[in-house]
Amino acid sequence: MKKEQEIYYTKDVPVPETPEPGTEPEPWGKTRIIGERVPRVDGYERVSGSAVYPSDVMLPGMIHGAILRSPYPHAVVKSVNIEKARNMPGVRAAISMDSPGADLQWPYNKEVSTKLFDPRCLFEGETIAAVAAETPYQAMDAIKAIKVEYDVKPFVVDERKALKSGSVEVHEGGNRLKTATHERGDVEKGFAEADEVVEKTFRTECEIQTPLELHGCVANWDGDRLTVWESTQGVYSVQSKVAQVLKMPLSKVRIIGHYMGGGFGSKLNASKYTIIGALLAKASAKPVKMFLTREDAYIAVGNRPPSNMTVKMGVKKDGTLTAIQLKGNATGGAYPAGGTALIDWLFRDLYTCENVRTEMTDVYINAGPARPFRAPGHPQGSWALEQMMDMLAQKINIDPVQIRLKNIPKVSQAREGNPPYTSTGLEECLRKGAETFGWDRARKEAEANNKKDGHIKRGVGMGGCVWIVGGGGPPSTVVVKYFSDGSVNLNMGASDIGTGTKTVMALVVAEELGVKPSVIQIENADTGTTQYATPSGGSKTVPTEAPTVRNACIDAKQQILKMAAEDLGLDVEDRDAEDLRFEGEKVVSKSDPSKSVKIKEIKKLNKRGLVMGIGYRGPNPENKTVNPFAAQFCEVEVNTRTGEVKVLRFLGAHDSGRVMDRLTYDNQVFGGITMGIGFGMTEWRVLDDGQTGKMLNKNWHDYKLPTALDVPMDMTCVPIELHDHEANNTGAKGLGEPVTIPTAGAIANAVNHATGLRFTDTPINPIFVSRMQDKTRAAEKAGKEALSKEARNKEEG
Amino acid sequence: MLPKFAYVRPDNLKEAVEKLSAEGAMVHAGGTDLLGCLRDDVLDAGTLVSISAIKDLRGIRKTENGGLRIGALTTITEVSRHRLVNQKYKGLAQGASEVASPQLRNQGTIGGNLCQKPRCWYYRGEFHCLRKGGTECFAAEGENTFHCIFGSDSICFIVHPSDTAPNLAALDAEVNITGPKGKRTVKVEDFHVLPADDVMRDTVLAPGEIVTEIIVPPVKHGLRSSYRKIKARRSWDFALAGVALALVFDGDKVTDGRVVFSGAAPVPWRSREVESAIIGNILDGKTIRTAAEASVKGAEPLAKNEYKIGMFQGMMTEELEKIARAEE
Repeated sequence: MKKEQEIYYTKDVPVPETPEPGTEPEPWGKTRIIGERVPRVDGYERVSGSAVYPSDVMLPGMIHGAILRSPYPHAVVKSVNIEKARNMPGVRAAISMDSPGADLQWPYNKEVSTKLFDPRCLFEGETIAAVAAETPYQAMDAIKAIKVEYDVKPFVVDERKALKSGSVEVHEGGNRLKTATHERGDVEKGFAEADEVVEKTFRTECEIQTPLELHGCVANWDGDRLTVWESTQGVYSVQSKVAQVLKMPLSKVRIIGHYMGGGFGSKLNASKYTIIGALLAKASAKPVKMFLTREDAYIAVGNRPPSNMTVKMGVKKDGTLTAIQLKGNATGGAYPAGGTALIDWLFRDLYTCENVRTEMTDVYINAGPARPFRAPGHPQGSWALEQMMDMLAQKINIDPVQIRLKNIPKVSQAREGNPPYTSTGLEECLRKGAETFGWDRARKEAEANNKKDGHIKRGVGMGGCVWIVGGGGPPSTVVVKYFSDGSVNLNMGASDIGTGTKTVMALVVAEELGVKPSVIQIENADTGTTQYATPSGGSKTVPTEAPTVRNACIDAKQQILKMAAEDLGLDVEDRDAEDLRFEGEKVVSKSDPSKSVKIKEIKKLNKRGLVMGIGYRGPNPENKTVNPFAAQFCEVEVNTRTGEVKVLRFLGAHDSGRVMDRLTYDNQVFGGITMGIGFGMTEWRVLDDGQTGKMLNKNWHDYKLPTALDVPMDMTCVPIELHDHEANNTGAKGLGEPVTIPTAGAIANAVNHATGLRFTDTPINPIFVSRMQDKTRAAEKAGKEALSKEARNKEEG
Repeated sequence: MLPKFAYVRPDNLKEAVEKLSAEGAMVHAGGTDLLGCLRDDVLDAGTLVSISAIKDLRGIRKTENGGLRIGALTTITEVSRHRLVNQKYKGLAQGASEVASPQLRNQGTIGGNLCQKPRCWYYRGEFHCLRKGGTECFAAEGENTFHCIFGSDSICFIVHPSDTAPNLAALDAEVNITGPKGKRTVKVEDFHVLPADDVMRDTVLAPGEIVTEIIVPPVKHGLRSSYRKIKARRSWDFALAGVALALVFDGDKVTDGRVVFSGAAPVPWRSREVESAIIGNILDGKTIRTAAEASVKGAEPLAKNEYKIGMFQGMMTEELEKIARAEE
């Protein structure tokens, strides 16, 4: 009795009905555990330090790798001499481009690849050679002893300069990688029909992922089998890339990533260091720990590309948008890395408009290749689009919330065939968000304050968003092992990248099987022992894996019902089993509640030891699209004398379908806003453009992530929980990325409300605010002088 | 990664001074700056001489004449929270609490805070700049957003990173130093070295010399002090612009005092221009406007730090208005 209470979260409470085999269940109606505030299932391990992250892995005999990287943004390696390094104390392996087995191709995409150690170094941080030694210090000393002869070349590290004629060419044939265009309707006609047209140029600076756990791995060979403990968002994607580069069968490559300390997109796949770690382990016949330094992580493993966007939009007096035009460029660094990817999406899809033209040119520069960064392209586009919406609203004198409400699309305009959304909460996000925030009152109070003489001004701003994906989808396979005592092992390939995936999946099992989350043990992120999953990214892990976990639980329940039917003397083949229902601790006859069997007493289950339920992710709905929506609101205070901006409060209203766990949900919203504050206010990469082309702020002091004091205490999360029965069998949509999309634009709009100044460039820090004020004062002065000159001329005339 | 070094931890000053006389020996107190400099190859130490076991160098106490004696090993946190400091020298308490982050304030010492190395990213990075014995300053024509507007003499454009030094200079504090040749005392105002005097030195400390204590003079009647710091982010950052005020008031009138900037120059920068604009005057609108203009008189901004001109003026205005209203 006591033991049962430990396993089942409640007694005599019905768990969800078990659907027919092979059918996709409807999302739950009322839930018992899903949506509650449940702490992380692995919270103790993470906080106490007992969780073993890849960077914690210590294997017997393990040695330490280090990589020599190009100190120049553009150079050709003429020769590398590793002999001295190889003979230094403790050194067990040293490899460079000339070493046997190291002449490997590293693919950036299907068309473009480079060598693992390529003599053409196109960015600061390109790999030149590597060593492995008994201590990290010996490895670092050996790296310093490697002699390299470079032919140092001129470079270009600013994409605006890279597009000019006569620029240094990163690759032969020019720096223009490709131009992506989208066109619908007739923008010229749209501008002609507009009552007001606004045009403005925006820029967003390069932002770097900087996860707490550095990029790296531990590699170990056992015969021809390679095992890699990698800090990754997806063990199967790493396995695939490693197998491809090393030309090995997938079965011989095992990737393990039980815990990982953040990636934000930069750890979606393997990196050169993964291969280098494996080669060093092979060469030394020892397990090798191959982690990057923080400096190297800043230059070599990803970023959010800087972007330049000129936007022109037309609006009618009633707020109807008549035309949207986006033209600009962005850079993914020295290799094809999606420099402009998805920057145009919000312009094309978020607000209703018949006439849209976008044209974004991807440019090569001599800097580290970009990688996907939490909602690729979207925060950049949002920065420009949300400010444009406010500028249009000012022109026609309507409220920022109202102009957005006026332009809410019913279908996805950017997609072929204009499919409807399975659920669209944009309107409710705007309305409920504004209401909860106290939008009207806050705007009025700020305006009243700003009429006064003081130099501390207040502003209130907002922005809306959609995220291009977030519905998840196949493939995914999950296995649930239901033990004879009712406790459960959940086996899935997906990584928990710090977002609470394991917690959410435990809740799905708990909801469906009636057991407490504490008796669910999760095995995940191991290609050797867990099932296939795509990497955790695109805000798709919950909408992909949760329905799959649910299906696996249902499969287990169906098998248990059959076993129970045998015990109760029912004819399984006659489908008498359909009369039974699964109630967590027991199976009961629906028609005769006195007929029941305790699950731990089911004979076949006891004999077999466990039931294995297998779940697959079903297809997404046809001709519909699944997307999360959001609106965020904020209030700021601006010191107009010093340029200091303080964010006073933030509110995120998010439609991501069903809330699976309210604690992880709030955590995502607050974390996304925090990151958005970094993007909008504190972070920017500084390259020594005029002199060396090197990154100057590759450390945590000079590269300014927001601190606790940059983020307001007052943050509110307002879930807009629409019932979405088409998205998937849980009704949940993605949340991890929309939470950081509208943040920076909302801040810019609030600062504009406070000061009247339009901040077209990130980040809004005291430096940039002061510069803008100087510019404004100079313009005012020039204006006054021009006026008085005109007056003088008139008098004289 | 740290380079190789020997480590000794004597428990008395005499032995520490002896150990420091060795080639390549360096003082280790809180270590918050030193370890970073070693890791980044900015400094190369043969031996680290830890002074953390020398008990005499700790703590804050009153001097006979009513001033304060702050031991060099006193942590920044202790300075920021000390009752007497908060009561009598508000600016110093504010300066200490503006240093870095709580963790760094718990570990870093007041002596170390005065002896900090500059934060110029060329100096700290892989650039063989003038200050490291090279032949060129990279900040002159490079990324100089965070660099100085005063005192460079077109040689080196660092800003002094300390938040406590400007306050101690404003209070006319002194530094007691012990070295191989015995003891000496230097005013905080004269403790730091301008590039024109020696671009490779940050302080007047000779080899083997240790800062032992800081002596803050007794409070003059009518003293009001404050510190203001503007940062690119709200914590764990150095000053873009900062000002320490220690002004003596007689009623509404400023009769004496000092104004010292942070984030402005390679050393804590005393603004005699602001001092002469306010001393002898009541801090009314006109005086404050004049003082704000005076604060940037003679400034020589670089290509990317011109914003500091308006920022210093705005900050000066705000701080003078505030101190005019403040209580003693």
